[in-house]
Amino acid sequence: MILDGKVPSGPIETKWNTYKDHINLVAPANRRKHTVIVVGTGLAGASAAASLGELGYNVLALTILDSPRRSHSIAAQGGINGAKNYKNDGDSIYRLFYDTVKGGDYRAREGNVYRLAQVSVDIIDQCVAQGVPFAREYGGLLDNRSFGGAQVSRTFYARGATGQQLLLGAYSALMRQVDAGTVKVLPRREMLDLVMVGGRARGLLCRNLISGEYERYAADAVLLCTGGYGNAYYLSTNAGNCNVTAAWRCARRGAYFGNPSFAQIHPTCIPESGTHQSKLTLMSESLRNDGRVWVPRQTGDKRNASDIPESDRDYYLERRYPAFGNLVPRDVASRAAKAVCDEGRGVGATGRSVYLDFADAIKRLGEDVVRERYGNLFDMYQHISGENPYQAPMRIYPAIHYAMGGLWVDYNLMSNLEGLFVLGEANFSDHGANRLGASALMQGLGDGYFVIPYTLGNYIGGTRLEAVTTDHDAFKEAQDAVDKRIKGLLASKGGKSVKELHRSLGRVLWDRVGMARNRAGLQQALKEVTGLRGEYQKNVRVVGEGQTINKQLEYALRVDDYMEFADVLVRDALDREESCGCHFREEYQTEDGECQRNDAEYAYVAAWEFKGRDQEPALHKEPLEFKSAELKQRNYK
Amino acid sequence: MSTMTVKVRVWRQPSPDKEGRLVDYTVGNVVADMSFVEMLDVLNEQLVAAGEDTVAFDSDCREGICGSCGCVVNGVPHGPGTGKTACQLFMRAFTDGDTLVVEPFRAKAFPVLKDLCVDRGAFDRMIAAGGYISANTGAAPDGNQLLIGKEIAEKAFDAAACIGCGACVAACKNASAVLFVSAKVGQLSYLPQGQPERYRRVVRMVDQMQKEGFGACSNEGECEAVCPKEISTLHIQIMQRDYLRSVLRGA
Amino acid sequence: MKRLLALLSSDIGRKALMGLTGLLLIGFLIAHMSANLLVPFSKEGYNEYSHKLITNPLIYLAELGLLVFFAGHFVTGIVVTLKNWGARPIAYQRKDPAGDPSRKSLASSTMIYSGLVLLVFVPLHLVTFKFGPWYLTPDGSMRDIHRLTIEVFHSPINLAWYLIALPILGFHAWHGFGSGFESLGVAHSAGLRRFGQGLAVVLTLGFMAVPLYVLLGGGAS
Repeated sequence: MILDGKVPSGPIETKWNTYKDHINLVAPANRRKHTVIVVGTGLAGASAAASLGELGYNVLALTILDSPRRSHSIAAQGGINGAKNYKNDGDSIYRLFYDTVKGGDYRAREGNVYRLAQVSVDIIDQCVAQGVPFAREYGGLLDNRSFGGAQVSRTFYARGATGQQLLLGAYSALMRQVDAGTVKVLPRREMLDLVMVGGRARGLLCRNLISGEYERYAADAVLLCTGGYGNAYYLSTNAGNCNVTAAWRCARRGAYFGNPSFAQIHPTCIPESGTHQSKLTLMSESLRNDGRVWVPRQTGDKRNASDIPESDRDYYLERRYPAFGNLVPRDVASRAAKAVCDEGRGVGATGRSVYLDFADAIKRLGEDVVRERYGNLFDMYQHISGENPYQAPMRIYPAIHYAMGGLWVDYNLMSNLEGLFVLGEANFSDHGANRLGASALMQGLGDGYFVIPYTLGNYIGGTRLEAVTTDHDAFKEAQDAVDKRIKGLLASKGGKSVKELHRSLGRVLWDRVGMARNRAGLQQALKEVTGLRGEYQKNVRVVGEGQTINKQLEYALRVDDYMEFADVLVRDALDREESCGCHFREEYQTEDGECQRNDAEYAYVAAWEFKGRDQEPALHKEPLEFKSAELKQRNYK
Repeated sequence: MSTMTVKVRVWRQPSPDKEGRLVDYTVGNVVADMSFVEMLDVLNEQLVAAGEDTVAFDSDCREGICGSCGCVVNGVPHGPGTGKTACQLFMRAFTDGDTLVVEPFRAKAFPVLKDLCVDRGAFDRMIAAGGYISANTGAAPDGNQLLIGKEIAEKAFDAAACIGCGACVAACKNASAVLFVSAKVGQLSYLPQGQPERYRRVVRMVDQMQKEGFGACSNEGECEAVCPKEISTLHIQIMQRDYLRSVLRGA
Repeated sequence: MKRLLALLSSDIGRKALMGLTGLLLIGFLIAHMSANLLVPFSKEGYNEYSHKLITNPLIYLAELGLLVFFAGHFVTGIVVTLKNWGARPIAYQRKDPAGDPSRKSLASSTMIYSGLVLLVFVPLHLVTFKFGPWYLTPDGSMRDIHRLTIEVFHSPINLAWYLIALPILGFHAWHGFGSGFESLGVAHSAGLRRFGQGLAVVLTLGFMAVPLYVLLGGGAS
């Protein structure tokens, strides 16, 4: 099936305004008669729930955490892009749009990206009005910095905790609506199924994570704002509770999963130190502005960094990419690190890390300046690794960071299931095959504050929604199925813990669907994933009871979903016989070892339809057209 | 890498209405680079292998910013050391053979749900009682129309850095939440955007704090000492001043 | 009145009142201690000062004020403490001090106990002195409070009691001075705190000067 993204016609600059001029509206007095469920309370969810509450909808906001304020958007460090051109350095909405499409290696939908660039300016204003303490200049104006290799300074930031401050802003707007009685926050609830009635998403079933009870909620629309699936890889920079469950449960109900193999790998993370490692910590890539990346020239050189003379060092990024040097995009830097480690030149006890050296910067700028610029990151590194980066080089290694892929949505952010909207990282729409720095926060807030209030109104205003209550058979059917699944897991007393099997799955994905992929490896991965899925069913051990807090059960349900989801992730990587952005297929590379896109055959969004466990999913395609951003080969030489 | 063995005395309480007690476990193969919560993961893997219910504890980002984790380790919220959460407490802070006493954050306003998980919903309710600026989406003026000096922005950020973990309450002998409330009150009262609702906000938030059953401030500053973001108790005086001013004015 | 009630019904209001009354009481103590220092130096001077004080008609107003401050201080103190205890119904099995930059001290953790000692001490002190035996000076013109003072401290029990109670008073003021300002919303600073601690030491030593003077044989006539 060929999917239609429903992008409005007309010039790209006017699409969104024309759209807004002609949509259906819901009268203020009628809005409170419509219930909307928002699943997840990160930037996308909190901003959506708050904005819809302000409009007068009756909103239920669910989070698996104990408070909306803890959602993982909080961990974003660097900043948020906004095409304000406050720096007078040539930025514009078009340029932000173009950079995002190009950075995504031309695998995003133009219409959505342009709209995102348009609303980016409003986001900044909104956040300032909420009291977000953005960095300011001495004169009192907002400060900007250049980020992620962009040629303009369009990134707004709040020290190294921009995500936190933006989330707390959205959270405070959300809590204001709780105060006003338009939003009800339901913490410690996990969505375990989507309820479809009459072909439309009309509610969900969730588990109360404190009491273990099932709770049914009916609504006129369901908004999925549940973030990314990076934790399928076991180790990632994602928080422990980030998962694919809500999205995957929707996929099982018929929602298409878009570009699942597009998982971004971030080059500057603190490397794994042992099997106990539960997560990887990202350090802002701003470190690459002054740090130099190198490994020993010879394989198996076990000398201390300080004992290796300049002549025996290989500053491989500077050598291979003289123009961009250490500032090449995330995917390029990550692959290069993997390549040198694969050659056996990696450093550290595990041999899976490279040096990020500030010795030259300290010599050139002095330790104080380096401390001023990166002090908090150095402290963090020292705290975690126990090593002093002022004296010895840092060790870094790439880690799974962000999911560009997600549920397929059209221009309205609605999935192929009517009434199911997907916002933020949970959808696939804006970042193509690679996300640029400081764009995730922009997308989450753009979707929640400025897109969904219009597109949801358009849906509700233009659809005859018959009354549905939680007594409907569809809720009962969903609850019975979930109950059966949970009872089955609780009765599993096999030989391996959930963690062990998750770790095995993660290893397969990281090794074969990570920074570099090839056909044979992916075919092997498909087999291994199938094997692990079978083993999980037979041999997992889940302890504890259902009627209480049971983190093992929560985890077991999530890993169960990763096991199914991993199949479509691998198949997507296998299907896409080209290299683009994060998706580097070794068979398709330029002479210089860079991504070789195949626009003629693969300029499409791959949207996968679940057909049943252990059954081959169906592939649907949405062709991508590039009319406003010219297709170009990325080149960072 | 050399490993160590630690004894963990951890609070086990099956549910809010049941009695709890400290239970002793021995955890081996602990390495220095492991975080405290990763050590609890290891303990839980042992318990899974033994077929026993695992120790329930909240944890999410594991990089010290979400505020999910938190328990009292050896008598100090988030354990020994300053400016960090329990997930950023590394086992290199302990030595082989050490005993770690692990208890939940204790306060009337933070009922224990299970083991180390407590209900911190009171924090959300206090924010809902005015810890915001009323600014509807779409109505905001240009961000640069409001000039905010660097010093003011920095000061507001210092207060806004609060992660809402609840360690301040856990550390205070009175289980007081004034540091948490004052961090939000402070942030918004330093900024020009926060002025219109300044006094209404402080009264409502403080009243809610009292309703939740937190204690009063004894000006000891234990809260600041355990705060992962090292939020200053100076914000407390701002809050008190604003509160007294509005009550005496009859606001 | 409504506002006072609103103040009294809030923790912050009660603490502010506690702080305010405490600071006013410290102010009184400074005056009291300064006058006491006359004892070793001038018997007549001390008696005259005392006479002028108690014959001034404003004394009743001042005494009423002190009574109100004192009562207000201990009532708010007890109410706040009981409420604070209720805020943590289940105690920690192990609780350690958090260390720097916490200002927690033995004094700060025992305010209610030092306060209760003072709650006993102050009425006894009034009974001993204010309402004690009414000696007249040899010329019969005024009360010989100096004689009473010396007599009281000739009793080893009284002497011991005062030498224990006065450091407790100082202990209470050690934390109370800085804390009182903080409760009133005055930003705390190390300087203010150290000043309060110094003042507490001065008060303690100043008050102890009289019993120690007697112990060392002073005032024997």
